[in-house]
Amino acid sequence: MKESLMDILCDPLDKSDLELEVTDRDGDEIITGRLVGTVTGEEYPIEDGIPNLLPPDMRDDE
Amino acid sequence: METNVYQPAEDSALLAEAVVDHAEGRFLEVGTGSGWVAERAAREANVERVVASDVNPHACESARERGATLREEGHLGIDAVRGNLLDPFREDSFDTVAFNPPYLPTDPDNEWDDWMEQALSGGETGRKFLDPFVDDVGRVLRPGGRVLLLVSSLAGFDDVVARVESAGFDHETVVQESYPFEVLSILRLTK
Repeated sequence: MKESLMDILCDPLDKSDLELEVTDRDGDEIITGRLVGTVTGEEYPIEDGIPNLLPPDMRDDE
Repeated sequence: METNVYQPAEDSALLAEAVVDHAEGRFLEVGTGSGWVAERAAREANVERVVASDVNPHACESARERGATLREEGHLGIDAVRGNLLDPFREDSFDTVAFNPPYLPTDPDNEWDDWMEQALSGGETGRKFLDPFVDDVGRVLRPGGRVLLLVSSLAGFDDVVARVESAGFDHETVVQESYPFEVLSILRLTK
């Protein structure tokens, strides 16, 4: 995901801000990392460039 | 042939037609499926950013791959986000939001629990996803924004219009086509 996407993403649980933690990037594209809810503490993975912002109860079926 | 992602059909073509004519600014497609409509937006519409979301991970991968190819060709890319409807998006984020919801009315005893079923079934009413989308979409729209919503007669056109009005939107039918078993319309919603 492009880092600029942070302007429009929020925690799906309560619409609060997310904090970006980058593990692997390619220019302005974040390939691996996670988004962490600043209020809920919930962790949302970024894998293969795609942030997974499904709430925890919808995340199990792959 | 990808079998776990909804592939473009007549409904996709109608939504793309409306998107090319009416989309502006920051554009979001909810339930993007293969990402085909989002790609049409990136290639042909007067938009400045294209975001595509889906609950299905295979759909998100397909949209991201289209985005990478588009960028290589010098077009806008597509930002793929996995999420449920509008849940992961902030208020005042988009000038245009497009949605072709799963709308086939489905007997709950008759549902197949896989990605293709999820891409097609709109629950018993056909409005299982459409109703919560209509109720929430005003939140993510910027002032002066618009929604492009595909409505099948199978999901009850008048019921959809009532929902749209109770959510405080004005509506106009911008595209409409009849098929043997349904009439498909694109509603443009504005505040």
